[in-house]
Amino acid sequence: MAWLGGARPARGRSAFGTRASVAVCVVLSIAIAVFGKAEAPMFDAARASLSDVTAPALLGVRAPLVAVGRWFDSMSTMFSVYRENIALRQENAELRKWQDVALSLENRLKRYESLLNTAPDPAPPAVTARVIGESNRPFGKTMILNAGTEQGVRKGQAVSDDRGLIGRIYLTGQRTSWVILLTDVNSRVPVLIEPSQRRAILAGDGTLAPVLDLDLGAGAAHAGDRVVSTGDGGLLPAGLPVGVIMGEGNELRVSLYAASAASDYVRVLDYLVPPPPSDPAATAPAIGAPKPPQAAVAAERPPPARPAGVIRPTPALPTAPAGAAAVEEDR
Amino acid sequence: MVDLLSLNPPRFFAALLPVASAVLLTVMVNIPLSLAYGLFPAPMLALAAIYFWALVRPDLMPPGAVLIIGLLEDLLSGGPPGLWASGFVAAYALADRQREILAGLSGAAALIGFAAATLLAAMMAYVLTWVVYHQWPALAPLLLACVITVALYPLIALPLAWTHRRVVGAMRGEV
Repeated sequence: MAWLGGARPARGRSAFGTRASVAVCVVLSIAIAVFGKAEAPMFDAARASLSDVTAPALLGVRAPLVAVGRWFDSMSTMFSVYRENIALRQENAELRKWQDVALSLENRLKRYESLLNTAPDPAPPAVTARVIGESNRPFGKTMILNAGTEQGVRKGQAVSDDRGLIGRIYLTGQRTSWVILLTDVNSRVPVLIEPSQRRAILAGDGTLAPVLDLDLGAGAAHAGDRVVSTGDGGLLPAGLPVGVIMGEGNELRVSLYAASAASDYVRVLDYLVPPPPSDPAATAPAIGAPKPPQAAVAAERPPPARPAGVIRPTPALPTAPAGAAAVEEDR
Repeated sequence: MVDLLSLNPPRFFAALLPVASAVLLTVMVNIPLSLAYGLFPAPMLALAAIYFWALVRPDLMPPGAVLIIGLLEDLLSGGPPGLWASGFVAAYALADRQREILAGLSGAAALIGFAAATLLAAMMAYVLTWVVYHQWPALAPLLLACVITVALYPLIALPLAWTHRRVVGAMRGEV
């Protein structure tokens, strides 16, 4: 098996020169790794430009392979279709009961909101984007979308599929954007555990089920509890479904609702946080001054650039965990 | 080191093949497709090419090229800059230091040699992740990536050995 080795190396090289250049490269690569974090924007810009240029090729390469994958999937499900059909019928009957309950509760909630004159949470506008690539590496789990700054996608926006939160935009090109998945080792997202309302940080560690960091906040957290996004720190819209707690004791993990690997289309949610009043005296209208018309107010609305570290004004909620404000800069 | 500019076109392209094969494998691995629905991490196929050429034709796989291939891997994989560059250069350093022993291995022993280089590259990237981000990432996906990489090494080494014998190695005296 000479092809697995056994070949004699070429000779005649300066051993000292080679060793020296290897040593220089080792030192240089470590320096890039250690100090590269400070120069990450330059590296990210190159990465975004590359994905912008290669986006059409990625789409073209991905399409037939996705089709083949689906064909294999359909072949494998053919053998279990009868059993699955029976299970789905039972589940459908159960869900119909829950649907009646949900509709009834929805109507009741609407009546209460109407009675209390509650301002409803605005549904964040969303950009639907196609997934043109995924990267599953031990130190990086990312996804590339075919929507960038030209489509209004910005760094920090939440990305979800039809099941739940997938991750956040961490890099935008003109026509593409990169998503850091919740499972990535650098992902930190503030979440809320239901029904205890305990706040926690969802920390990716490279596995399919991210770890729940419960150092912050108080309250119960058990296997089977639902986990949703909080909106703390103005990072994500509140209430986005994230997953279900699994595990026991101190090592609690979250089984994610979203299936990033199976998602073809995702939604990038534009979560607008009101800018903080810089000078209340300057912005407050004078007593007796005419109220500006609504159209003028809309025209004066600042562009949807989210200031970093702004806390969403939700006075009914407890204060955000201390780590939430730092999440924005985790990449 | 080979003076590429002094070569005629066929020999010039033959001399570029080792680095080109590693770059091609880097690009191939990083075509971002989830063929296994995210269950398995992508292998480090470029490392197989780097290791192979570092053993049989180190003059055509200089350490500077290894550094650039590692940076390309970092750029394309979406990871932090320098992690895989350091890992690849560390594996190259091992191959360079132990060339006489590693190049003489064959069969399963050659696989073990490559496994040692892969593990060194992975551990280098793992430790640097802690140095840069102050947190230990999960070890299991990294080890799984190493196992997949080592398992695929024969599939990479086979065409590379053919290329070495028929195209690059045949010109050893002149290239």
